[in-house]
Amino acid sequence: MPEAITSVQAEQPGENGNSLPKRPLLELIDISKEFDVRDNGRRATLSAVNEVSLKVRTGRTLGIVGESGCGKSTLARVIVGLHAASSGEMLFENRQIETTGRRPRKIVEQMQMVFQDPSSALNPRATVGESIGFPLRVQGASKKEIDARVKQVITDVGLPASYVGNYPHQLSGGQRQRVNIARALALQPKLVVLDEAVSALDKSIQAQVLNLLADLQRDYQLTYVFISHDLNVVEYISDEVAVMYLGQVVEEGSAKALYENPRHPYTQLLLSSIPTLDPAQSNRDEPIGAGDSEIPSPISPPSGCRFRTRCPFVMDICSEVLPPRVEAAPEHIVACHLYSEGAERNDGAVAAAAS
Amino acid sequence: MTQAVTPVLLHPGFGAGVPVEARARAAELRDEWDAADQNVDAQSFWKETGKRFLANKVGVAAAGVVLLLVVGAVFAPLITSADPLVGQPTDRLQNIGSPGHVLGTDEQGRDVWARVLYGGRLSLLAGFVPTVGAALIGTIIGVTSGMLRGVVGTILMRFMDVLYAFPAILLAIAVGSSLGPGLTNTIIAVTIVFIPPVARVAESATRRVVVQEFIEAAHLSGASGFRVARSQILPNVLNDIIVYSSGLVGVAMIIAASLSFLSLGSPPPVPEWGYMLNSLRGSLYTTPLVTLVPGFFIFLTSVAFNMASDALREAMDSRL
Repeated sequence: MPEAITSVQAEQPGENGNSLPKRPLLELIDISKEFDVRDNGRRATLSAVNEVSLKVRTGRTLGIVGESGCGKSTLARVIVGLHAASSGEMLFENRQIETTGRRPRKIVEQMQMVFQDPSSALNPRATVGESIGFPLRVQGASKKEIDARVKQVITDVGLPASYVGNYPHQLSGGQRQRVNIARALALQPKLVVLDEAVSALDKSIQAQVLNLLADLQRDYQLTYVFISHDLNVVEYISDEVAVMYLGQVVEEGSAKALYENPRHPYTQLLLSSIPTLDPAQSNRDEPIGAGDSEIPSPISPPSGCRFRTRCPFVMDICSEVLPPRVEAAPEHIVACHLYSEGAERNDGAVAAAAS
Repeated sequence: MTQAVTPVLLHPGFGAGVPVEARARAAELRDEWDAADQNVDAQSFWKETGKRFLANKVGVAAAGVVLLLVVGAVFAPLITSADPLVGQPTDRLQNIGSPGHVLGTDEQGRDVWARVLYGGRLSLLAGFVPTVGAALIGTIIGVTSGMLRGVVGTILMRFMDVLYAFPAILLAIAVGSSLGPGLTNTIIAVTIVFIPPVARVAESATRRVVVQEFIEAAHLSGASGFRVARSQILPNVLNDIIVYSSGLVGVAMIIAASLSFLSLGSPPPVPEWGYMLNSLRGSLYTTPLVTLVPGFFIFLTSVAFNMASDALREAMDSRL
């Protein structure tokens, strides 16, 4: 077992959902990511992630939901350092870490990522053992250590140790995703970012992998950032959920509160679009409220509130002022003008309750 | 399988009418399948490729021809006792099948069979060495520019495109004639001709690979760019490069033969197929069949290499 277990993290997630650990493991402060792109031949900036502030609590799972193209995956890559953020700050274990440049190895190995596509996430020319062992080899572990560690993690993700010699094409999608998870765990990270980690799997395999993830979180004391467009899956695995729209977080709160009492009009729309358990999820990737309007382009996002072009409750102020983040209920933050009026009042109530 | 089996809820009466034997048989089959499932044996990529290659008859035949040519060139002194350099002026221009000279003699009375065997050494060398050299250099250039993209990648690839714009044979003649005749210079010239196409193949293969998630995963483990290139990208682009380059061997031989036909290759009297073709040209009317011999061997090698390369591509291509 990783020696990373401290007394703070020993708390079982989910069992007593109300007592939160004191400090978040990871804190994002006004993280933005812009890409230089060419729009019809002109140079333009694509604002993929815009001033996102989030807290990821130790031993918990933060779910991030949103439509395709809302910047979820970009945010995931900014968090683990694959993309340099354009601006903003990040705190990891209360220490500021590099967001724009290369990070020291100590930080790199603390944050790992599980990728979406089981077929492209593994090197087709490397055996399962080589893929899982690669991060360890890079970090300079001895052959013996690598073998032992690979054997350990591959059993932990529920695969027989004999699979180390197999190639990815000999495994099923679910097995590959297990290998993918095993590789992320090889370095004993504290934070694992799961980018659509189960989206490419069958429903039945999805359930297995989700249960595996929950088990691993308990055994390894992991903190998850779980990114998905699948609302059911996010509700199942997350302790807290953030809803993203066009690069901005529009609402965040505990999974229970957010799913039972969505505040932001976008969240409400999103939740109303959850299909039935019919496996033919034909309307899954369709824009919400299809026929209403298109998703605006992140190259020139709408002024003020980015959701205003599709919002059923749109007001004059929405196009002028970016809605502030207000605490509509304790630990439930909404960025919408519908709630900003009563913000002061709520804030007072929250402060009174907290003290 | 150690994966938990998803419980399937069936009505208790489901399958009630199925006879006991059929159930037993079904259970047997299921066990067989499970057992087969357990026996996924880990076969390396090269083992599988080799198996598929051997199943391709044309490919094996072509590879056999290539092997024969190589063996013939290497063991030429054991196969023929005739001297390829010194001829009998009295035996000039013998036809094919004449006693003592299976493939006849050339205008200086030298045994053509011996010259073909010995000439294979230079010709095969002129086919292999530039291909291997170009494959190495082209891979480095292509993978570098494919990974870096940006300014460096663009400059490298545009420079390759400029070279690529010349017809291969013209570029070879230009380089060969500026370097002067000789085997080494021929090899250098052909290598330079082949670097741009190999670099392009390597670059496009690299671009295809770098966007895949396992490259991101490798970066995430803190590996340096060079390490990622060596351990993650190279094994995945090597396929394309090997397949493409193996097809170049035949072309390289033809270009080398052309250079030597234009007396830009190895200087006489050392036998080389292209040069032989040139010198025998004069006796086209006296011994027409002998004249065709070196051309036939150039053709045979080139075709054999291309067919073997096609078979190799097929064997490697079957998507894993």
